[in-house]
Amino acid sequence: MGQITLSDIQRAYGNVKVLHDINLDIADGEFVVLVGPSGCGKSTLLRLLSGLDKPTAGRIEIDGKDVTQVSAADRGLAMVFQSYALYPHMSVRQNLAFGLENIQMPKAEIAERITEAARMLEITDYLDRRPGQLSGGQKQRVAIGRAVVRNPTAFLLDEPLSNLDAELRISTRAEISALHDRLKTTMIYVTHDQVEAMTLADRIVVMRAGRIEQVGRPLDLYNTPANLFVAGFIGAPRMNLLPVKIAEAGPQSVRVEGAGGLSIMVAADGSALQPGTDATLGIRPHDIRTGTGGDGSFTATVDLMEALGPETVAHATTDDGQKILAVLNGQDTTKAGDGISFAFDAGRTHLFDAEGQRLPPPRT
Amino acid sequence: MATRSISSRIGAVLAAPVIWLARLLNLPLKWWQGMTGTGGMAAFFLAPNMAIFGIFVLLPLVINFAYSMTSGQALFLSDRSYVGGEQYARLMDCGNYLDPTTCREDLFWIALRNTALFVVVQVSMMTVVAMITALILNREIRGRGFWRAVFFFPVLLSPVVVGLIWRWILQREGLLNFILYNVGLEPHVWLTDRFYSFVATVGVSVWAHMGFYTLILLAGLQAIPRDLYEAAEMDGTRAGRVFWRITLPLLMPNLLVVIVLALIRAVQIFDEAYVLTGGGPGTSTLYLTQYIYEVGFASLLRNPGLAAAASIIMGLILVVLTLIQLGLGRRNEKAGERK
Ligand SMILES: Nc1ncnc2c1ncn2[C@@H]1O[C@H](COP(=O)(O)OP(=O)(O)OP(=O)(O)O)[C@@H](O)[C@H]1O
Ligand SMILES: [Mg+2]
Repeated sequence: MGQITLSDIQRAYGNVKVLHDINLDIADGEFVVLVGPSGCGKSTLLRLLSGLDKPTAGRIEIDGKDVTQVSAADRGLAMVFQSYALYPHMSVRQNLAFGLENIQMPKAEIAERITEAARMLEITDYLDRRPGQLSGGQKQRVAIGRAVVRNPTAFLLDEPLSNLDAELRISTRAEISALHDRLKTTMIYVTHDQVEAMTLADRIVVMRAGRIEQVGRPLDLYNTPANLFVAGFIGAPRMNLLPVKIAEAGPQSVRVEGAGGLSIMVAADGSALQPGTDATLGIRPHDIRTGTGGDGSFTATVDLMEALGPETVAHATTDDGQKILAVLNGQDTTKAGDGISFAFDAGRTHLFDAEGQRLPPPRT
Repeated sequence: MATRSISSRIGAVLAAPVIWLARLLNLPLKWWQGMTGTGGMAAFFLAPNMAIFGIFVLLPLVINFAYSMTSGQALFLSDRSYVGGEQYARLMDCGNYLDPTTCREDLFWIALRNTALFVVVQVSMMTVVAMITALILNREIRGRGFWRAVFFFPVLLSPVVVGLIWRWILQREGLLNFILYNVGLEPHVWLTDRFYSFVATVGVSVWAHMGFYTLILLAGLQAIPRDLYEAAEMDGTRAGRVFWRITLPLLMPNLLVVIVLALIRAVQIFDEAYVLTGGGPGTSTLYLTQYIYEVGFASLLRNPGLAAAASIIMGLILVVLTLIQLGLGRRNEKAGERK
């Protein structure tokens, strides 16, 4: 079992609060990814879970048992460190065995577990080498292996791929995903790479400045970001966020207007809004096409066209100086300096109020 | 912006004479290099250092060796008579090497035995004490910087001062006895007791030099990545096992350096012990360097040849220890490369 509940977790260093009232439920076997910009408190949260650090306030439960004051060793979790933290003076085999020897596991069983984990992670060939004689990717596997042999109730991984080169990162990512499918153990994974989060997670927890901004399945976050921060953070390239004014607001729909002749009716509950107030309209670059034939359109001036073959990335600026990024299908011959008209559909837009919160769906 | 241009202007003004001097030197040096080539230049720059080393280290070594082959009380080598290896033979003349009383130069053997005992006891104690101190100072204790300074402070004291301070504490009417008397305990004449005077020389020299070794160990402890300890904590490792299986193996390079350096210095023990006990009571704290000093300079029947021979023997012991240290250093370098 590996069901984890965090209730009202806070962590402060002196007067500086780095985590504010974190509440999170993690189901057994779930792959949860904590994602957010540098310094937002991901590692701190993971360390609180691990028991290496203790919260200033709040409660941590594992499988219904309060473990807030339980030591790291007795929580039954295993951690994979960003720096791998392998014992440099021990062979790979000894590294894997060390934690098992601590609990006086019989030698035969230790050997068996090591053999099993080594086969699964394909590190059998260098069990007798020292960490210093391994490549980064191999060290990474050993670090994961050290966690696997412990047979933990949950894995905690803090940016395990950040020291690998791009190619290795992608393949190791797939392996971690396969490992999870196979072990079906709860995994809590920290990263600041939203692509890693999207590809690995059952659920993503987006954090900012010590707070959880949104929790949800990857595509839910992509399709309905709860606020401007999540909208800008999830999805690559970044969502275009256009400043607009509320023209009409009702419980079923809201009409907004912006630069370049932009005017669009979006289905949302705007009953709390006053016409004339500020809002933000989000449109993902992939949801923009050229022309005027959509639910809405606006004009802009092209700065740069990047022809990639199957698609063209257009960088443009609206009349009021707003930078726009559009990923256009096929090849486009518009040149820099030319005027261009962008079209989009109301169903693919995201409307945020002046506080940056997504407007609720239309009232029924 | 303005401050920056002012400071850079000041910099330029200060640098001007240096640049001017460098240009002035440049010409003759260029000419010199043209004459001698680059290798010659290296020799030119090394020459002052080599001269100092030669005059104050190498030459005395050779002269010392020459003295060890002569006899008599005369001070100048030209007045002394050549006797070959006789002084060495005299030192080695023993009925039974384990019993100094059967030796012709019994004091040499007593000093050697005392020094050996001192080295073994002092170095083990030094290593353990420095290790424990380093482990404590490496923790998140309050006023860590202050404590580090406190433990390093005795290293800065002159050995004679160290000896004097401790004599004031340990002598018959010293501080320790004063305190003992006032709390109602029996005072003791520490420095005229064979056992306690030996313990005093060991303890005082540990106290005086410990800070240096603590610093070396502390540096080693701080080089051990923190997350290894966190990994061990996640692994549920008990404190004792963390020390024996993680801290100690990773500290081994520094520990070996500490042990060998401490060995070399312990063999040379002189000043603190001499000021503290003067070698007494009897010969119970007579160490090798003091023996050499007394035979060569301080006794009525001084014998520079014998003292020179004894110091050559001591030198050989030190050479062996130094070679071990160099060997370890090289091994560490290789280990470092592998990482
Ligand atoms: N020991 C500490 N003392 C004081 N402040 C700390 C300490 N550890 C972390 N912090 C602060 O807590 C905040 C969160 O740090 P944390 O390491 O959790 O960030 P992170 O989200 O993991 O960032 P990154 O992606 O860069 O690893 C940061 O602002 C950091 O400065
Ligand atoms: Mg981090």
